[in-house]
Amino acid sequence: MSTTLLPEEQPKNLHRRSHSSETKRYGFFPGCVAKESCKELFNSTMLLADKLGIELIELTAASCCGASVVNDTNRDIARVLNARTYAQAEALGLDDVITICSTCTGHMRAANKELLDSEERLNHANSILGKFGAKYSGNVMVRHLLWLLIDDIGLDNLREMVVRPLNGLKVAPFYGCHIIRPESVNGWESARNPHSLEDVIEALGGEAVDYAGKTRCCGFHIQLEKDGVAASMVGQNMRMAKDKGAEAVITPCPLCHLALDGYQQDAAARWGRTDLPTFHLPQLVAYALGVPAEKLGLNHHLIDPRPIMVDRDLIA
Amino acid sequence: MAKIKLDIFRFDEAVDEVPHRDVVEVDIPETTTVLDALEEAKAQVDGSISFRRSCRSAICGSCSMNINGVTGLACKTPCNTVMDKDGAIQIDPMPNFQPMRDLVVHMDPFWDKYTRLKPYLQPADKDEAHERERRVSPEDMKKLVDVANCIMCATCYALCPVVSVDPAFAGPAAIAYAYRFIEDVRDGQRPERIAQINEDYLWLCAHCYACSYCPKHVDPHWRIVDVKRATINDRVMMNERGPRHALIVNKTIRQTGMLAETEVIQGTVGRFNIRGLLKVLPLGLRMISKGKMPPPFVKPIPKVDEVRTIFESLEVPVS
Repeated sequence: MSTTLLPEEQPKNLHRRSHSSETKRYGFFPGCVAKESCKELFNSTMLLADKLGIELIELTAASCCGASVVNDTNRDIARVLNARTYAQAEALGLDDVITICSTCTGHMRAANKELLDSEERLNHANSILGKFGAKYSGNVMVRHLLWLLIDDIGLDNLREMVVRPLNGLKVAPFYGCHIIRPESVNGWESARNPHSLEDVIEALGGEAVDYAGKTRCCGFHIQLEKDGVAASMVGQNMRMAKDKGAEAVITPCPLCHLALDGYQQDAAARWGRTDLPTFHLPQLVAYALGVPAEKLGLNHHLIDPRPIMVDRDLIA
Repeated sequence: MAKIKLDIFRFDEAVDEVPHRDVVEVDIPETTTVLDALEEAKAQVDGSISFRRSCRSAICGSCSMNINGVTGLACKTPCNTVMDKDGAIQIDPMPNFQPMRDLVVHMDPFWDKYTRLKPYLQPADKDEAHERERRVSPEDMKKLVDVANCIMCATCYALCPVVSVDPAFAGPAAIAYAYRFIEDVRDGQRPERIAQINEDYLWLCAHCYACSYCPKHVDPHWRIVDVKRATINDRVMMNERGPRHALIVNKTIRQTGMLAETEVIQGTVGRFNIRGLLKVLPLGLRMISKGKMPPPFVKPIPKVDEVRTIFESLEVPVS
C-alpha cells in the first residue's frame, strides 16, 4: 500500500468487529433448529459461554431469519423480520447479534447489509416496525460464534483455556455455505480458502483435515425436493473427508449437522460407508475447555461420536 | 520473468484409458495470465497440449478450467495470484463435464439444457410483416442487463454441487437464461417457459451460492430466486414440492414466528402423500430413537402479532 490511513480515517469495517476489552455481553440469536431438533447445540453453546466468561443474552422474541426460503415468495420479508430482531437487540443496549448457524449468519448479514446500504430500505423497514413501536437505528453487527471465538477471545487465549486437548483427533471442518458465501455479504474470511475452523481445531489440540468438500454444500435446503440428491451431496463430501483420513467432522451450522449426521447412512450405497460423527462447533470447544462430555448431548447424534472419543482417550 | 511449472491434466479419449499429468515449465512474466502461460507451453514446449480459447479477454467464455481446484477463466487469472512458492500451478478440466482431450471437455449437457429453453424471443403476435418496432422501457430492460452479461463459460455449471450428483438439474446458467426470457416484456411464452424450467428442476437449487463466483458477476443465484418467485406469483405448478415448501415455511413463520420443522416437512411432502411420508419415515424414526425429533407444534414467540403485521404490510412488494 502506498498510502497510509490515519486511524480516524480508516473506513468502518463492515465485516469484522472485536469487543475483547470493552464488553462481554452479547445479543444471542439461537435460530429455529437449535430450539427444535438440535437442542444439544443450544445447550452446549450456553455451557461454552459460561466457560468463556461471556454473557449471551437470548433475544427471546426474535423470529426466524427467513432461512433463505422466504426470499422465494417476497424479497422484503426477511429484511424486515430481521430488522425487528436488530431493533430488539438495540432496545436491550446490545449492538452484537451472535449466531450459531451458518444459514442464520448469511441471511441475517444479507438483510443487515441491505438495510445499511440504503436509507430508503431502512426507512421502509422502520415504517413497518413503527406500527408496533419498534425502530432499528442500524448499529447491529451479526457475527457467528466462530468469529467471536477468534476476534474477541483470541486463538492464543483459547489455546491457554484448553484443559482437555483433543489428542490429535483428525477433524474435518465443514463450513456450511452461508457463513462464507456470498463473499460480498460475509467477507470475514476468504470464501474459497477459509481457515477459521482449522485454526480452532488446532487450538483445541486436534489435527485439521484439509479436503475439497469443506466449503461445499450439504444439500440441506433440498432434502425434501427430490429423493436422494441431498444424501448424495453429503456422501460425496464425507467420502472426500474420509479419504483424507478424517475421524470426525465439525460444523458451525445445525442444518449441515442434520444433513451430515442424518444422511451418511442413506448415501452409503453410492459413496461407500463413511460414518463420520459430526460435532457442533460449541460441543467440541466446550469439551476441550472442560465441560463434562455427558452434558453435551452427544447421545442425541445419529452417528455416535463417543466411540472415536474413547479411541482417542478423550473419554473413558 | 519467472519459471512457471504448469502441472497439466493430460488425456485423449481417442487413445487413453486413464489420464496422466505432465509438468511443463515456461519462462514468462509472473503477471501474465494462466491462459498466456498455456499458450507459451503449447508454442514452445509441447504443441499437443489442448485447450479452448479465443478472445483472451473474458468475453468469449471459452477458457474456463480448474486452476488449483478453483474453476474460472484462465484468461482472467494472473499466474502470480495462483502459483505456489515454487511457481507451480495445477490445471485440470472443468469438473461436472466429461473430458475430451486435455482441458477440452464435452460441453453437450450444458448446451442441451440451454437449447431446451428455446433461447430466443417468441412474441405473442408474430408480426411477420415486421411492421412495427418492439420497444422496451429502460426500467424493463434494467432487469435483463445483468443476465445479458452471461458469456456461457459454464463456470457456474462446473461449480454447481447439485449438477455434480444429479445431472438432471438445469444448472445456474440455464435458469438465469430462462429468467432473461420470462422477464422480457416482448416475449409471449411466459407461462410455458416457467413450466419448462420447473420441469428441469428449478427448485433443486441448493441455495449454496457457488455460482456467486461467476467471472462476469451475473450471480445466477438471484435470478434463480426470481424465477421461483415468478412461479409462485403466476401460480404455475403450485402442487409441486418446491412451491409448497416455500409457502409452508412462510405460513409457519407467520403463525409462530419460527420455522416449525415438523409442519414444514409434512406440508412440503404433502400431508396425505403416504408414499412420500413413508420415504422420510426411516430417518424420522432414527431421530426419534435418539431423542432428536422436533416438537409436533411450535409455541409462538412473544409478540408474534408483530411478525404478522410485517407479513400483512408486505403483501404488496415494494420495488
